[in-house]
Amino acid sequence: MPSNRMDTGGRIDRDRPLSFTFNGRRLQGFAGDTLASALLANGVRLTARSFKYHRPRGIVGAGVEEPSTLVELLGDDASGNRPATTVPLRDGLIAKSVNCWPSPGFDMGAINQLIGRFIPAGFYYKTFKWPGWHLYEPTIRKAAGLAAAPAAPPEQGHFESRFAHCDLLIAGAGPAGLMAALTAGRAGLRVMIADEATEAGGSLLNRRLTIGGTPALGWVKAVVDELATLPNVTHLQNTTVWAYREHNYLMVNERAPDNPGLLERNWRVRAGQVICATGAIERMLVFGNNDRPGVMLASAAQTYVNRYGVRPGQRAVVFTNNNSAYAVAADLAAAGITVAAIIDNRTDVPEEARTLVEDVDVLAGHVVTGARGARQVRGVTIAPVDGGASRQISCDLLAHSGGWNPAVHLWSQSRGNLRYDDTLTSFLPDQAAQDATSVGAANGQMILADALGSGARAGADAAGITMPDIPTSADLTYAITPLWRVEQGRGKAFLDIQNDVTVDDVHLALREGYDNVEHVKRYTTGGMGIDQGKTGNINIIGTVAMQQGAPLEELGTTTFRSPYTPVSFGAIGGLREDSVVLPYRHTPLTAWNIKNEAFMYESGARWRRPGYFPQPGESFQETVNRECRIVRNGVGVYDGSPLGTFEFKGRDVGRFLDHIYTNIMSTLKPGHGRYGLMLSDDGLIIDDGVALRLSEHRWIVSTSTGHADAMNSHFEELLQTQFPDWNVFVTTVTSQWNNATICGPLARNVMQALGTDIDISPAALPFMGFADGHVAGIPARLVRVSFTGELSFEVNVAPRHLPALWDKIMTAGAPFNIAPIGSEANHVLRVEKGFLSLGHEVDGTVDPYDLGLGWVMSKKKTDYLGKHAVAIRRSGTTNRRELVGILPQPDQMIPEGAPLTPGGERRPTEGLVTACVYSTVHDRWVGLALLENGHSRHGETVHARLKDKVIAARVTPPIHYDAVGERLRS
Amino acid sequence: MPYDVQIDRLPCFALFDLKGPATDLAAWADVLPAFPKAANTLTRHNGVDLCFTGRNRWILRADIAREDALIAALRPEKAPPEISITRVSDTLTFFRITGPDAAQVMLIGCPLDLHDSVFGPDAVSYSEFFGLKALVMRCEGGFDCAVEQSFGDMVADYLSRATA
Amino acid sequence: MMNIPCPFCGSRNEAEFAFGGPVKPDRSDPNTVSEEEWVAYLTQVPNPLGPVQERWWHVKGCGMWLTIWRDTRTHDIVEGPADAE
Repeated sequence: MPSNRMDTGGRIDRDRPLSFTFNGRRLQGFAGDTLASALLANGVRLTARSFKYHRPRGIVGAGVEEPSTLVELLGDDASGNRPATTVPLRDGLIAKSVNCWPSPGFDMGAINQLIGRFIPAGFYYKTFKWPGWHLYEPTIRKAAGLAAAPAAPPEQGHFESRFAHCDLLIAGAGPAGLMAALTAGRAGLRVMIADEATEAGGSLLNRRLTIGGTPALGWVKAVVDELATLPNVTHLQNTTVWAYREHNYLMVNERAPDNPGLLERNWRVRAGQVICATGAIERMLVFGNNDRPGVMLASAAQTYVNRYGVRPGQRAVVFTNNNSAYAVAADLAAAGITVAAIIDNRTDVPEEARTLVEDVDVLAGHVVTGARGARQVRGVTIAPVDGGASRQISCDLLAHSGGWNPAVHLWSQSRGNLRYDDTLTSFLPDQAAQDATSVGAANGQMILADALGSGARAGADAAGITMPDIPTSADLTYAITPLWRVEQGRGKAFLDIQNDVTVDDVHLALREGYDNVEHVKRYTTGGMGIDQGKTGNINIIGTVAMQQGAPLEELGTTTFRSPYTPVSFGAIGGLREDSVVLPYRHTPLTAWNIKNEAFMYESGARWRRPGYFPQPGESFQETVNRECRIVRNGVGVYDGSPLGTFEFKGRDVGRFLDHIYTNIMSTLKPGHGRYGLMLSDDGLIIDDGVALRLSEHRWIVSTSTGHADAMNSHFEELLQTQFPDWNVFVTTVTSQWNNATICGPLARNVMQALGTDIDISPAALPFMGFADGHVAGIPARLVRVSFTGELSFEVNVAPRHLPALWDKIMTAGAPFNIAPIGSEANHVLRVEKGFLSLGHEVDGTVDPYDLGLGWVMSKKKTDYLGKHAVAIRRSGTTNRRELVGILPQPDQMIPEGAPLTPGGERRPTEGLVTACVYSTVHDRWVGLALLENGHSRHGETVHARLKDKVIAARVTPPIHYDAVGERLRS
Repeated sequence: MPYDVQIDRLPCFALFDLKGPATDLAAWADVLPAFPKAANTLTRHNGVDLCFTGRNRWILRADIAREDALIAALRPEKAPPEISITRVSDTLTFFRITGPDAAQVMLIGCPLDLHDSVFGPDAVSYSEFFGLKALVMRCEGGFDCAVEQSFGDMVADYLSRATA
Repeated sequence: MMNIPCPFCGSRNEAEFAFGGPVKPDRSDPNTVSEEEWVAYLTQVPNPLGPVQERWWHVKGCGMWLTIWRDTRTHDIVEGPADAE
């Protein structure tokens, strides 16, 4: 058994030894250990190197407050920057220190210690500012290195993020939290209680107290057992309430869920009420070399002997400004550690504290002015508070306590106020901003009886019942005299051990004018980092207060932000990774497309669509060209299902459509359709599409795929907020009507081969006409619209029938060499035709006139959305960018988005290329562009200015193919 | 313990979107069950569920085999302008999640409070499921949850990940 | 994640809603107002430090457009929809 492990005691299982590796050394601990307790048990004291100066460091705390020993876990546990005090030991654990190379014992970066006085706070900001910080940052970040991120996500499970609801969420299962949970749980509230430790009990796990006359942990067990029997109580350990957001919404990270598939779980909890029972965190004392390995928080030393059965040293000095460390000294002595002396800055030590340690030398009115020893503490120098000769005491453990800070982090995140309490010398919860209360040490109830009482009271209040009886207990009174820093002595006195921020750094910040505590924080980085200054922040404020002669309550605290302790990104993201990292939508033909080796990708509104259908040996361009020729010369078919489709119903539909479309829709006769354009009221084009009038009061409105949701919002907002009395109903039917669109000069032949009871002659079913009937025996609505410029039949059917229809089209079309067409070819065909596309030609600056669509702007209507804004815009003298066609000279592709500048020179742009495609009709590249005064510049030459060259292009009308529209009307 | 749950992707239901005052709808079609009084509840009659999902908005659900009969009874194209009746059978894909941990799996994706005391046997509501709009209701031993049909494959993907 | 009171559904997660912006004055007939007034109507949106009346659309819920008064400093909903059922 390692030398520092006690033979008995602690909450470890000596029958379950565990092997682990630390910095390459194989070591042994027990089930129940943390990595930190196991290291101490093995006598490993030098465990880390500091962030900036690479000073030797040991273990300082015993929980989430640990500022010093951060480790990187390797193998299955791969993760970085984990405080060793929060890593439960398991067999096979592999850990290494994060900020040293090759080891904390021999660290090359330790050279920084020698030049330490040349790198004060703000050094990097001041030194590496020319020509830019970004040049230096990578190297400096590496030198200051924290752990690397794991190379790959863990494979042995997945993360989960889930919702939860409760009447009462209790953060913390110490005495106050457990008492609250028991009280509210018995009263029937839906209670959720979460605690960061591996087992319940809070401070009771670390101390030797009694409740009801028996050891306190017996009471803890009884409460936990009873909570387990209450179906209305959810009790989670190893689980941290890490964020408190608005409207009582809290984030709770469960690190070891009882589900073998899960790595971690994040609960997103909406709580009726919240009780913050988060306890208190001991703060350091600030004196020279207070960072030496072996200088440890008193409560941590107490935790190691009581909870883990580990002696963190053989000969201890205790340094304190309050009573709590006397109980620590007594526990250390009981564990067989020699307590050489208690150094107390108070001249009058309360009798109840002194009687706990009758055999120990108590030096009242003294302070430790410095720790001695280089790689670990070998002794301390002490001196009277009021001056006088210093002397030395040898020791290998210095347990210090600067008092207790209520853990007000969650409270403060909830926007609850804080007030400074002179008696406790700390900030306490004051006014609540949400439905929350603080209890126990988190609320300044430092004595066990008060903690139990406040927990019971809060639980009873939450449940609306009377206060229950609370068990008896005994505890030491908490009395403290503030000591923000020891002014005597030499050596760096650290306020923030993790970021290497010293008293001198804070003084420098103040001298340079950073006198607000938030500014001090940012200038010195004190209080940042993994631990967020849990042990040192209040000392920083105290140091500022001392220097400025201002009371702490005037300075206030820096803002407490989430997360309270680090949380895995995986837990926040939950299931969202790999294929579901973004949403995706399929049509009933997706399986067919994939089977037929379509190249699939997202193409707006999260739809996965076929881009093109390559045949063996075909390049991308060859495939697209082939698909274009098929549509222009024969017949193709594409899946148009994603098109936004809405059914409108009511007496006022025509009136409503007249308001939202630029043209007049109300005059449309049943059985006919009309193309239209929609503007926002500030004159921007928001969508285009076709309205079909089914009957007097029923209409179908189609929108572009990408804007379907936005259009739905637009319709509903207008109808509900501006025209609540109008008789218009809107129902989204995008996924009720899917379509296969047969297009090309042979489309009618394919329709005839399919067989239909609808008269598809041009006279009976002209362009923009539609009819209901059957196609290939399937109930269908046939619509004559065209997005390719060719004769097209949009065969709309219920999605459940689409695969069957598609198969029949393929069979019936085979004699005509029909082929499926992807969105790439569709894009080429629409550009040839000069059809506009939202996001390409419609970019939020152009109006319908610019696009040559002035005819769609009704002159008859005195008002419709956007009419006046367009008129006001056009009344200005600004040159408008207008839609034109372009033919690159010589023939080549111009990248979409390329700027057009006068002469291709480095001058302000006069437009941009919105599309450029290879036209199989013209056997050359053709494009569209927005060009200043473009309508009057046909025939001119313009220039696209690229990074490495200038490409000329001839300006043409925007329609490159079938300008009169014979083919689509055929 | 892994989640003890059964997940089934259900075949298409006959669904109708009804809008307008309950009195007008009831007067037009006597095939409808009694209209639920409380918001976000449903009534069941003769195999037809009538879900009160929004102000003057209702969803009618029945087995797909009854779709033609319901169309004949509801006569959507002839309904007066005061009401709107639209067949939406294909627009939703239903997942049935049953078993002891059904609620736990639902809560991975759904922010509703599904506790018995809040979401009772006749509860139905639109809400979210994995970030998508979803119709959520109870079924025997668990929940029915429907998302827009085109997202069905993605939700199946999510659910298989959730229960892996 | 706010908890927004819907008149039909009760309080629901903010994620079920789409933000509709601060409530602007009613749209007047643009033919009856000056160009300046019309431009002001189109472009000026209330943006106070404190309570603001704004619209939310319960798009993933019952579909209702509703208004709340939200304090922009705290997210407190100081006044719920007027027509709560």
